[in-house]
Amino acid sequence: MFKDLDPLLHSQLRLAVMSLLMSLESAEFTFLKEKTNSTAGNLSVQLDKLSSAGYIKIDKSFKGKKPVTTCRMTKQGIAAFENYVNALKNYIGDR
Amino acid sequence: MKQESGELTAAQSLDIIAAMIREAKSNIRSNYFFFLFWGWVVALANLGVFVLQKLAVEQPYLVWAITIPAWIYTLARMVRGRKTQRATTHFDRISRWLWMTFGVVIFTLVFFGFKINYQLNAVLLVVAAIPTVVSGVILKFRPLVAGGAVFWVCGVVNFLIPMEAQSLIGAIAIVCGYLIPGYKLKSKEG
Repeated sequence: MFKDLDPLLHSQLRLAVMSLLMSLESAEFTFLKEKTNSTAGNLSVQLDKLSSAGYIKIDKSFKGKKPVTTCRMTKQGIAAFENYVNALKNYIGDR
Repeated sequence: MKQESGELTAAQSLDIIAAMIREAKSNIRSNYFFFLFWGWVVALANLGVFVLQKLAVEQPYLVWAITIPAWIYTLARMVRGRKTQRATTHFDRISRWLWMTFGVVIFTLVFFGFKINYQLNAVLLVVAAIPTVVSGVILKFRPLVAGGAVFWVCGVVNFLIPMEAQSLIGAIAIVCGYLIPGYKLKSKEG
């Protein structure tokens, strides 16, 4: 029944991350971890998947001596998220 | 949050999206500090000029030099804020650019004040209406929109009255434009 839904987004953690980034300009790894209540390992794996698909951009930098990972949505990611929401709306509308 | 724990239903997907959008909403009204800080700095400068004029002190406008440390403090606080901020909203970015542009415009106007016969009290108030109204619209906070309107009205008034009284109008404008909305924002934040 969900054949039109992007499998990359149709998972709890990846969808949560994309929903957060959709509402934000950018967010640090620790912020995403806290808001999604996920583990660092799991979040890291899911972010890599989203990044490999071109849905998000990951930047690594330093704040003073502290390494910081910052994520932001790409145009491709925004389009994928919109398509996912539209597919969801169609599914709900068809019921 | 677990990963891949069975297929999500449409309702669960919508719940996740709605919950995360709620989480991403920062307290965008927490920017009251700069309204209060600059409200007091500019109000004191305006009142200082007004009082010194009444006392016939020479070069009363030198009171405006208090804005120099205020600018330095503002920049330092902004840099420190960016270091501790873990997520940036779209509003944060628009707001930052809006107020930075306003700062550049102010410096330009002050620098070329001699070209406009030092009608800075009027011109600065009219220009200040723009970021104040826009911030009010973005924050959906009417007192700021009204404050911006007061800036514009006071700017127009300052074009029509003698130079000696303009500082007093400027002080009234800043109280209505920054201080009252600033304190209202602060009280909403709790």
